[in-house]
Amino acid sequence: MSAGQLDTLGQEGLLSLYPERTRISVGMATCGLATGAQAVYDRLSQEIERTGCDVVLSKTGCLGFCQKEPIIDLFIPGKPRLTFVEMSPESAVEFIGAIAAGRVPTDGLLCRHDQELLLDDVFRDYCSEGEELTGVPLYTDVPFFAKQMKIALRNCGLVDPGSIEEYVARSGYSALHTVLSGTSPAELIEEVKLSGLRGRGGGGFPTGLKWEFTRRTEAEDRFIVCNADEGDPGAYMDRSILEGDPHSVIEGMIIGGYAIGASTGFIYCRTEYPLAIQRLEVALEQARLHGFLGDDIFGSGFSFDIRIREGSGAFVCGEETSLMHSIEGVSPEPGNRPPFPSESGLWEKPTNINNVETWSNIPPIALKGGKWYSAIGTEKSKGTKVFSLVGKVTNTGLVEVPMGITLREIIYDIGGGIPDDREFKAVQTGGPSGGCIPASLLDLPVDYERLAEAGSIMGSGGMVVMDEDTCIVDIAKYFLEFTNDESCGKCTSCRDGSDLMLAILTRITSGEGRPEDIDFLLELGEAVMDASQCGLGQTLPNPVLSTIKYFRDEYSAHIERAECPAHVCKPLIVYRIDPEACTGCTLCARNCSMSAIRGEPRKLHVIDTGRCTKCGVCYDVCKFNAVILE
Amino acid sequence: MSRTPEEIVRASLEKHGSGREAVMEILTDVNRELGCIPEEAIIATASAVGVSNAEIYSVVSFYSFFSIKPRGRHIVRLCSTISCVMSGSAEVLEAVRDDLGIREGETTSDGRITLETTSCIGLCDQAPAMLVNDEPHTRLTPETARAIIAGLE
Ligand SMILES: Cc1cc2nc3c(=O)[nH]c(=O)nc-3n(C[C@H](O)[C@H](O)[C@H](O)COP(=O)(O)O)c2cc1C
Repeated sequence: MSAGQLDTLGQEGLLSLYPERTRISVGMATCGLATGAQAVYDRLSQEIERTGCDVVLSKTGCLGFCQKEPIIDLFIPGKPRLTFVEMSPESAVEFIGAIAAGRVPTDGLLCRHDQELLLDDVFRDYCSEGEELTGVPLYTDVPFFAKQMKIALRNCGLVDPGSIEEYVARSGYSALHTVLSGTSPAELIEEVKLSGLRGRGGGGFPTGLKWEFTRRTEAEDRFIVCNADEGDPGAYMDRSILEGDPHSVIEGMIIGGYAIGASTGFIYCRTEYPLAIQRLEVALEQARLHGFLGDDIFGSGFSFDIRIREGSGAFVCGEETSLMHSIEGVSPEPGNRPPFPSESGLWEKPTNINNVETWSNIPPIALKGGKWYSAIGTEKSKGTKVFSLVGKVTNTGLVEVPMGITLREIIYDIGGGIPDDREFKAVQTGGPSGGCIPASLLDLPVDYERLAEAGSIMGSGGMVVMDEDTCIVDIAKYFLEFTNDESCGKCTSCRDGSDLMLAILTRITSGEGRPEDIDFLLELGEAVMDASQCGLGQTLPNPVLSTIKYFRDEYSAHIERAECPAHVCKPLIVYRIDPEACTGCTLCARNCSMSAIRGEPRKLHVIDTGRCTKCGVCYDVCKFNAVILE
Repeated sequence: MSRTPEEIVRASLEKHGSGREAVMEILTDVNRELGCIPEEAIIATASAVGVSNAEIYSVVSFYSFFSIKPRGRHIVRLCSTISCVMSGSAEVLEAVRDDLGIREGETTSDGRITLETTSCIGLCDQAPAMLVNDEPHTRLTPETARAIIAGLE
């Protein structure tokens, strides 16, 4: 591969991204497919054939607005790119009908894009004069997208993940080319250090520094690893990057391999992500075919290849020492650190592990420079971070925002707030190692330091939004169940400590909490943190400690008054019928599977609390709001 | 004719070699083809790689996607993670349990379906979610989950 050949490849990609005919692309990441994108694609294809209109149909990844899948994009030469949401096979018929009749479809139209930003700061303008479609909102004015800044997700939802040409057309592999035509590994590492990029897998360790440590260790060979074991509850950005833009991760790894002096890279991907694995396999094959992987890449003398390894459903394998054991084929309990992987990792060779999102940030940094990246974000947290916004929030999806944006902007401006007129209660960040942040801290700027000060962590970027109907003690118990389940059992503190903490939380949520339980949980939490060997045990008390810190009253209500203020903990709630409101319509009695409601037509009904299983059906069916939860 | 566990291990060894690092790949191949990793496969892998059966056994037992017990033709994995719980996965689980007459970790007596719950499968944007074999299903309700499961051969 030469510079000229790279250019030719990019030209081919431009032609397939922006052909001289109308093009439709369908978002076909897992989120799209799960909501019927394949059926939409098939129907579009049939209709194009049937009407004989001149349209190219292609596939892409996820644009991030997963709530609104299936999403498709329309590219008509000379007109703005248009994004359509919530498509169905039926609307696909009308869609093609409109195009065949020379009209612009309007059903499901969300926004228009007048231009596209390429990596090297070049804009591609879509519209010719007079074709602006000004009645349609601009992409950058749609609240969900307005505050986003896409670096890691730069190509997701635009390129076909199965086309290396389209990736190259978006400046792909030009960072690799630039680096291999004259940047020394030391200069490259300096650039990554300058960027301020920190690991996106949870720990937030400075990436450039880690590379330097690994490079510095004397060895004949070194390894690099991409951690794609993404297991944090509520986080799925790595899946989306791998499904939507696998080459960005591959290019990042090749650049990293060169900087570090490694000849082999491994991508450790969880088996729960079959589509990601499949797209990676295709992308790796293409990269080999074009000489981006293999011997003597770009004639530089540097040789490198990447292999995929599959995890098989063990959360702890995301921890780096455990992950390496898994690759080696030994029992994957976490090991001791030090020595750190940078000194002794896979097969005792220096090994550099980074997360998927970390790797996908590398090509832009290598191309545009560390200074460019470090201009984004806050003092100690540079660049952007991808968050998955899930739970009780109006717009769920993947959002990439500059560090320093506030929680309120993410949850309200981008996420559209809390649905069903409910109140915001807390947001859980950082998964089982993180914590719950209350409403009083909604204006907290999001970066590594601020989140840690608030008693949580950045983690891999999951944000689970909770409304007033969520019981905070129940949430803490949920996370403890999770870590208790995933603990490998090697350290007593983690194994038995989580057992004990879970038993106490179970007792509290059953209404049998004791006055000393809160302090006992705090003490136990500290002890487990101190005595555990790997990150799992060291952080598992966080969800409990942070909820006690901010919601101690709610714990007390459970313990002292046997009350669950959110009405979630079944042993602590009773259903009762309000005599004032009950009309005696009998609907509740007829729907009660336990026959626990008695009463004659047009007379007051009564719930027999002895028989009631608190399933809540009566509450749901009553048309007069006469069933009360206490 | 389906292949025996030993045959799968042998074919896998040819692809991945007999180094220790081939263990996960061999086991994944067996698990994918048979739905479980029978004792014969453990023994064959151990002797090919040159480690004890116990060592391979300890690897197999570590991973929730590996099973030594035979499983059903279809594996239904319902996500039991927080965002799915908040969206009603408990009701979905109850409906599926009732319909199949089995609990998590069990297989229907006709060998059709194994029911499991799983940690996060990354479909949180459209909770509650489940994987049926490799295929994702999202925004489940008790009704849609029942219908999907009824449609499995
Ligand atoms: C229990 C546990 C689970 C982890 N899971 C993941 C994971 O799924 N993905 C990931 O990238 N890092 C995970 N990590 C962090 C890794 O150990 C490691 O720090 C990270 O992969 C380094 O990459 P980074 O510097 O780019 O973040 C986990 C850590 C612990 C303690």
